[in-house]
Amino acid sequence: MKEPTVLPTYQAKDFKSELKPIWCPGCGDFGVLQAIYRALAAVGRAPHEIAFVSGIGCSSRIPGYTTAYGFNSVHGRALPIAQGIKLANPDLLVLVAGGDGDGFSIGGGHVPHAIRRNIDLTYIVMDNQIYGLTKGQLSPTSPKGLHTVTSDLGSLEEPVNPLLYTLAYGAGFVAQGTPADMAGLADIIEEAIRYPGFSLVNVQSPCVTFGEDDNQVKAHRAAMKPLSSIGHDPTNRIAAMDLAQQYGKALHTGVFFKNPSPPPTYDALVRERQRSLAEKAVPRERLLDMFVQK
Amino acid sequence: MDKTRKIDFATIGLRDALDLAVLIEEEAKERYEEFADSMEKHHTPAAAKFFRFMRGIEELHEAKLKGQRSELFGDARRVVTREMIYDIEAPETGEPRTHMTARAALEIALGAETKARAFFEQAIERVKDSSVGSLFEELRDEEIEHQELVRKMIAKLPPEDAGDIRDYEDPPVTL
Ligand SMILES: Cc1ncc(C[n+]2csc(CCOP(=O)(O)OP(=O)(O)O)c2C)c(N)n1
Ligand code: SF4
Repeated sequence: MKEPTVLPTYQAKDFKSELKPIWCPGCGDFGVLQAIYRALAAVGRAPHEIAFVSGIGCSSRIPGYTTAYGFNSVHGRALPIAQGIKLANPDLLVLVAGGDGDGFSIGGGHVPHAIRRNIDLTYIVMDNQIYGLTKGQLSPTSPKGLHTVTSDLGSLEEPVNPLLYTLAYGAGFVAQGTPADMAGLADIIEEAIRYPGFSLVNVQSPCVTFGEDDNQVKAHRAAMKPLSSIGHDPTNRIAAMDLAQQYGKALHTGVFFKNPSPPPTYDALVRERQRSLAEKAVPRERLLDMFVQK
Repeated sequence: MDKTRKIDFATIGLRDALDLAVLIEEEAKERYEEFADSMEKHHTPAAAKFFRFMRGIEELHEAKLKGQRSELFGDARRVVTREMIYDIEAPETGEPRTHMTARAALEIALGAETKARAFFEQAIERVKDSSVGSLFEELRDEEIEHQELVRKMIAKLPPEDAGDIRDYEDPPVTL
């Protein structure tokens, strides 16, 4: 085996906290967590340089299971809090996690704004098509016809399509994974973190307790179609949108879209403006002069 | 599904192969420990007990392989890392269920030993270094022994009423 010249600084276990997950045994989020540990090790930033923000839900417990700074915040409000953190301290690597309910129902209004501002965040959505924590109600991504405690006769609503939705708002990086392919998921998360700008990773993370039997890890393994195997060009947004329309019908995994020429991030623009204003700024000792009439 | 990253079996030497073997056992040990903890939390003591037993077995193998490694190579640096392997002998995270029976827990372990055996069989076909080939053969044979052990344990279990585990869900509570 070829000897690497530099060994990785961090290992997956460096990102694992003492807290033990309380998810239902077999929950898809266990696999997502493993993939996150590995992606963080590959990225190589120290745990104290990472802020991990979530909303409320089973999946929103994820930050607590890592050694990064974590904020299990308010239902649906992970994105605005993460944006604030990134703007206040642009050197931090900021990750956001939550469920499909957290992100596309109560928090849905925040998604377009995080995207159009292009703040350098990685948003990992554990899309299980159900409200897990509150015990199995209809979620915004639940398929039409789904029977749940709040749709006893079958849902009459069309689901939100997280892939198409974020692509349409102009996200520079949109991908989908499943814990059925943990290595592939870790690669996708790593690539999303490395993308300079807003990135979305929609993870089909099965809820074993309230989810459908045909939407579990084994079924994913049989159904998944890696985008790389069908010759998809991830620099083509229109092709990505075309494929994204298959959401809910086919399980495509991998990178749907990655902007080949990422525009400047909001945090970079803010820094740039601060720099240019600083040049014209009045020195501190002359600050009061501004208020003295000459 | 790819189970390794950046490991070239055609050129791997004995030191790296031993490090890989140690990490495979470590990964399985940790996964069984997580399963046992989770089962205890979710009131499934029989499965928890079995997963803890499996954790012990993996720990013994890990220690044995670590001993071999340090005897042959001392503290020579390790280039194989945990990030390079994915669930080789570790049972998959999506497998356990609340209130699963001991039989179901044993079947998860049997599945894990079976896939580990398949992994070593495929690796043996690709390696060129004969000492690595012998190590992998030894490890494959151990997997076969484990499969036998688990099969015997399953055979000794009393017949059970499978029931429907959905009657006994134990999800986390809301905030
Ligand atoms: C403001 C507010 N409204 C409602 C709730 C109740 N609540 C907690 S989690 C949740 C939805 C959970 O579903 P999802 O976000 O998809 O996450 P999952 O549990 O499936 O991972 C709801 C409605 C709350 N905590 N706060
Ligand atoms: S209720 Fe569903 S999403 Fe929540 S921990 Fe259990 S399996 Fe996971």
